[in-house]
Order: sequence, then C-alpha cells, then structure tokens
Amino acid sequence: MTLRWKYSKHFLALLVAYFAVAPLLGFGFLKGPGMQQTFAVAFLWGALALTYDLLFGFTGLLSFGHALFFASGVYMTTIFVNRLEVNIIIAGFLAVLGTMLIAVIVGAFSLRTTGITFAMVTLAFGELGRVFIERNFWNLSQGDNGLPINAELLPQFLIGVLNTKFLYWLALLVLITVYISVWWLTETSAGRVFAALRDNELRVSVIGLKPSRFKLLSFTISAALASICGGAMAIVAGSASPRFATADVTIALLLMVILGGTVSRWGAVLGGMIYSIASTRLQDLNQAELVGKLPKIISGPLSEPTFILGLIFILIVMFAPGGLSGAYYRARFKYLNRNTK
Amino acid sequence: MDTFILILTTGIGLGALYFLVACGLTLIYGIMGVLNFAHGTFLTVGAFCGVWAATHLFDGTTTLGYFLSLLVGGLGGGLFALLMEQLVIVRLYERHMDQALVTVGVALFVGAILSGWFSNDLRLLPSPPWFTDTFELGKSYLPKDRFVYFGVSISLLILLLALLKFTRIGLIIRAGVENRNMVSALGINVRLAFSTVFFLGGLAAGISGVLIGTYQGGVSPLMGGSYLIYGFIVVVIGGMGSLPGTALSALIIGVLRQFVNYYAPGLGDFVIILILAGVLLFRPQGLLGKVSS
Repeated sequence: MTLRWKYSKHFLALLVAYFAVAPLLGFGFLKGPGMQQTFAVAFLWGALALTYDLLFGFTGLLSFGHALFFASGVYMTTIFVNRLEVNIIIAGFLAVLGTMLIAVIVGAFSLRTTGITFAMVTLAFGELGRVFIERNFWNLSQGDNGLPINAELLPQFLIGVLNTKFLYWLALLVLITVYISVWWLTETSAGRVFAALRDNELRVSVIGLKPSRFKLLSFTISAALASICGGAMAIVAGSASPRFATADVTIALLLMVILGGTVSRWGAVLGGMIYSIASTRLQDLNQAELVGKLPKIISGPLSEPTFILGLIFILIVMFAPGGLSGAYYRARFKYLNRNTK
Repeated sequence: MDTFILILTTGIGLGALYFLVACGLTLIYGIMGVLNFAHGTFLTVGAFCGVWAATHLFDGTTTLGYFLSLLVGGLGGGLFALLMEQLVIVRLYERHMDQALVTVGVALFVGAILSGWFSNDLRLLPSPPWFTDTFELGKSYLPKDRFVYFGVSISLLILLLALLKFTRIGLIIRAGVENRNMVSALGINVRLAFSTVFFLGGLAAGISGVLIGTYQGGVSPLMGGSYLIYGFIVVVIGGMGSLPGTALSALIIGVLRQFVNYYAPGLGDFVIILILAGVLLFRPQGLLGKVSS
C-alpha cells in the first residue's frame, strides 16, 4: 500500500476556482461575512496543518513546538506593523526571516536528539515561546491581554465586516501558496531525501548524505511557511494572543494531520479545515436545545470540542491509520483492483 | 542567609513535586519506549480522587485523613493508568509512535470529560492546618508543607528503588529497561511488568496531583498539562529511564527555578530551558542516562 495516486488536477483546479469566486456569487453558503470569516480561519488552519505535515508526515519529525513558529509569525507581523509602521507585506517578510532565524537556532539544538526526546525538547522550546509572550518582556507582547494589530496601518480594504471577503481571499491565497510550496518541495530531490529520512535514516547516512542538514532544512522551511500562516492569522483574527503559542495548538495540528492522514498533502489541509470548522460548530452545539436537555454528566463533556475530536483521534490511531486520505486511497485501490481478483 | 535557606527549602519542595511527576514518565519511557502525554491526566485524575476522598470519605483537615486521601489519589491515578494501558496501549503493541499519539488523544478526551464535569475553576482541597505553619530554623521561617512534599517523594523514591532492586517484578522491569526484546525472548511475561510500571507511574502521578493541589491551593482539570512539561524537561535532563537521574535533575530544576525566580523574576523557566539545551549539547543521554545501544 505504498502507492501514491496522483489525484485529479482538474478537480482540484475546479475546487479552487469555486472557492475563489464563491463570495461574489450571491448565493451558496459563502455569501455572508460570517461563513467567510469561518472559512478564512479554516483555510489558515488547513495551511498550517500542511506545514506541520511537511515536518511530521513527510520528514517523520514529531515536533511538539510547531506553535512557536506560528505564534512568532503572528506576533512579529503585528509588532512590525505596529512599531515600525511598515507595509504589511514587508512586515510579513521580516516576520518570516525572523522566524527562520529562531527555527535554525531551535532546530540546531533539538535536532541533536531523535524520536521521542525530540518531541519533548521541541515541546520545551515551544513552552519557552509561550512563557516569553505571556511574561510580556520589554512590553512587546502585552502578555495575556493580546496585542491588537493597528487597523489604521493596514490597507483599508482589509478592514470592516463588509470587507470580510478580502480576508477570505487573503487566507485562500496563503493556503494556495503554502500548498504549492509544499507540493514543489516534496517533489524536489530534497523532498525525496525528507521522505527517505522518515523511512530509514540509517540508509540515508550510508548513502553519504548528512541527515541533520536535511532535517534542519525541513524544520526551517516548515517554520517559515508556518510564520506566513501566522502573519495572515494576525490580520484575519485582528490581534495576536498567547493562545496561538500554547502546546494545545501543536496538539491540535497533530490531530488535524492524523485526522486527514499523513500520506497526502490534501489530507492535512482537509483535516485542518474540518477540525477548525468542527471546533467552532461543536461549541455552538452547546447552546443547542437538544444538548441542553441532557443530564450534565453527558452534556458537560459534549460542550467541550476536544471530547468528540479526542475520541475520533483515538479511534483513528487505533483502527484507521492513514486517516481520511488513507481511507480514500484504500477504497480507490480496492475499486481499481476490483477485476483482478 | 535566611532567605537563602527559605528559597532552598521551597526549591527542594518544588523539586520533590517534579520528581513525583517525572518518575512515572521515566519508568514508562524506560521500559516501553512510550512518551506518555496522558501523564498529566493521571495527575489530574489522582488530584480529583484525592479531593473527593478528602471531602467525602475522610476529613482532609486531619493529618491522618489527609494522608489517607493522598493514598486514594495515588490509587485513583494508578488505576486510571492501568485502565488506559489495558484498554488502549496494549492494543498498539510495538507501534511506538501510535502509542505516543494515542496518549495525546486520551489526554484530550479525558481532559474534556473532566472540564465538562467540573468547571475549570480551582476546587479547594482540604489540608491539615499545620501545613501552613512555619518551622523555625535559625532566623528563617520555613513552611512545613514543603517538608511533607519532600518526605513523600523520598519515601516513594526509596520504595521504588527497593521494589526494583529486591523483587522479582523489579528485576524484570530493570531488565526490560536494559533490553526489552531479550527479556521477552527468554520467555518472561513482560506484559505484567508493563502493567506494573503503568500502575506505579500513575500512582506517583496521582500522589503528586494531590500534593500539587495543596501547593497551588486547589485542583483544576487544567493542572496536569503545565506540570507535564516540567516532567518532560526533568526526564530529559536526568536521563530517560534512570530513576536516580530523575531525582537528581528534579532537585536541581526545582531549586534553580526558585532561586532564579527570586533574584530575576520570571526568568526561571528560561534558565531551565537553557540548561536543557546545554545538557543536550554536551550530554545528550542526560545526566545519569546510559547511551542506548
């Protein structure tokens, strides 16, 4: 089952085209600003899940510190816009450079370890980032209060409820950019080495390639892409807050990637979008009348999105490795081989 | 000098709590190669069992009642750990990555149940009034509860070491940490050792949950997560799988964190991470860890 089917490019192009024009159509579920905002956030989580998949699914590095780079993108973009009063594009670019610098340093240390120790060490670095933000050093991050991005310094078409569709397009653009970058990267020879590292690191070093360099490359690129998502999130969410830096974010990313399946790029994006939409929707379920009538012993946990998502996660890990895309590929494999039996 | 002794005592008390969290992690990792993300949940479950026992079963404000509740908390954590191992971990035998992932799922799932049942506010944990008293040493006044944490940790460390050293199951566990495949190849039932380790780890985590509840002034469903991270750091610095290493590094981390936070407020966590980075650079296997073959 190591076959990697090339999905239908036409279908993908059609889907992107639909999502691109959907806010203009005047009908369908994406015509209102509320849904557009939900989808803008979902696109960004999908893109972020893909950057995590590059690290975890494609290179086999189980990092628990990915939130650090996302948060660094969110905060650096906000701080550069607010303090330096530069154009948002320049601020985002500087944020990516800054994040890559952090990633190289963190990676150089943590990649000395492997496997489970690597997971613990990256978790510790991620927590360091969260503590740094919450403690509000040099009054940079404003701690728990969060740091609103100064709306007057942003292009005016990104401000206001009526302009939500521009946020939607921005998020979609980021998703497409990240998708194409990861696509291109995983098809290059460096990307092949990433996959080889995941499958058998010893063989890679026997060939004469240095595993640590390729791991650091994968680590840094995925951090850079995550910071792009972070920069966009700063604009879409309107402010930077410490919740972007918690280990919960990384765990959510892990959930998304497992849900969608690590074997494919689209799986991670789909997993991220489903998770994002589900966690907003499941919170609404709390207010629904049906749930309100249940005894608290059931309705209490049901109002926590991680109750259902955690359960799904456990079931997928135990019984359906490969997640949604794995299930799709299995079904397709069966379908294509239906006559050979 | 007085403050020095005071900070040293509180640091040792904190280190004792870290040790209780970390010793289960290090044993479970040592024998099974599983990074247990649900360890914080063991802690929280134990803490809630302890609160229940201290309010409904015994009188937590008496010394005996408190220690009995501590025991109930430990048993709660241990039985929960055993349940998780039997229901989930056993089914993923030899799939290490999936075992680690599934513990993340358990942590989320059970965390959601606890948050749903008990809100995320601090829930008061009764403790004997003498815990808040101070103990006079020279000119410094030392809070007595820190000595309790330290005493419980030391007793548990001695108990665990004795168990590992002098019993048959301890021998199997030690052999399993050394070379798991060899032990099963010799026809010894390693599964039993796995379950024992999970139970003991859960027990220690549950006890630490109750003590942390006393230390923080209450328990909440969110308390496990923050201590889990310190547990990880302590385990990595001490050397994965080494019990004495874990005790040593927990002590170092606890004391250092208190000192740095006193002289440079807020920098304690940074110094800990710097030490972690230093240890990884110069001694990747940890202070007392063995180089894995």
